[in-house]
Amino acid sequence: MTVVPAQNTGGGGGGSSGLYDVLELILDRGLVIDAFIRVSLVGIEILKIDVRVVVASVDTYLRFAEACNRLDLEAGPRKPPGLTEVVGEITESGARGKSKGALSGAAETVSDAFRQARDEGKEKSESRPRTRKATSARRKEEQE
Amino acid sequence: MSTYVYGITTSSHPALPKDISGVGDPPLPVRVLTTDGLAALVSDAPENLRPKRRDLLAHQSVLAEVGSDGCVLPMRFGSLAPDDETVTSVLAERAEHYQERLRTLDGKVEYNIKATHDEEAVLHRVMSQNADIRAMTEANRQAGGGSYEQKLRLGEMVVAAVKAQEAEDADAVLSALEGEAEAVSTGPESSGWLANVSFLVPRDAAGTFLSAVEELRESLPHLQVRVNGPLPPYSFVEPGPDRHTGEARADFAQE
Repeated sequence: MTVVPAQNTGGGGGGSSGLYDVLELILDRGLVIDAFIRVSLVGIEILKIDVRVVVASVDTYLRFAEACNRLDLEAGPRKPPGLTEVVGEITESGARGKSKGALSGAAETVSDAFRQARDEGKEKSESRPRTRKATSARRKEEQE
Repeated sequence: MSTYVYGITTSSHPALPKDISGVGDPPLPVRVLTTDGLAALVSDAPENLRPKRRDLLAHQSVLAEVGSDGCVLPMRFGSLAPDDETVTSVLAERAEHYQERLRTLDGKVEYNIKATHDEEAVLHRVMSQNADIRAMTEANRQAGGGSYEQKLRLGEMVVAAVKAQEAEDADAVLSALEGEAEAVSTGPESSGWLANVSFLVPRDAAGTFLSAVEELRESLPHLQVRVNGPLPPYSFVEPGPDRHTGEARADFAQE
């Protein structure tokens, strides 16, 4: 599935025009005219897309330490075929809306859109399966 | 009945839509409202419109279809006017401004670049460049993985090195491509990628731009570079990305 089917010919190698990658442009850029209103998108601007986060936290430290441990320095870096895997979830990191119900409703719908778009991406990168679940299971093992 | 607005183009646009469908289920037909040399692409607004996948795609494909034949100023998703008359009066009121933007952006398209690290490859790079990290990894291996504290110390060092590499690579992406673009707009901060940058590229220079992307991929193999485009100039509808961001925030606050 491509967003711009007629035109998307020049993406090259790993380029793929999924909705996922352009969502933030459709939702967060483009012309805004103050005489118009926008549909219930309150909160969309502050959606954070948590895909591959390198944040300073104990979990991250442990994960990277383990990754280094497993890393075979002799082998060259392997490039996975196709799309980068997209591991993550959408987190809603704040609420500016007047109506909380409407806000989370909108966020949910967008999450669904993200998830669907992400699933499409995943189909293309089945060769390198890794799920958040597996990661957290590993973390648990380590901590025990 | 309110009016959903997709974008603004010139009324002399060679291929104003006749039979394309927009948002809604079933999809509503796209109409054209013209005034003062401008044309707004609109449809009726469906009840309870929300940012669903189908409607996001409809918004995008209306703009892509019309944008392939001429410049369109894309509206942000979900822009609603109370009625058609409001749309035409806004167009008339600011005709000069929109005409200027359409002239400036004519023949140009947006390419959005998102770069992420290939984790294994970047770990390789970080390890090969940092003797301390190599030594500590080896020590931990010898100790059967290392203690909790040792793992934390190693992880902390690796994360710092990876973050430094992210910043370095974000600069590399920008400097490799900005020379091929007429304007650059850095996307909103997000944790999902180390670089998220849009480039305004003349349509007939797209090949050169994409070659520069290929060169970037080859010179930095630990990066995964995703290209999206050609797109309508979402990030360049207002003059100057900084001002655009500022205005967007202000508009948002007024709602």
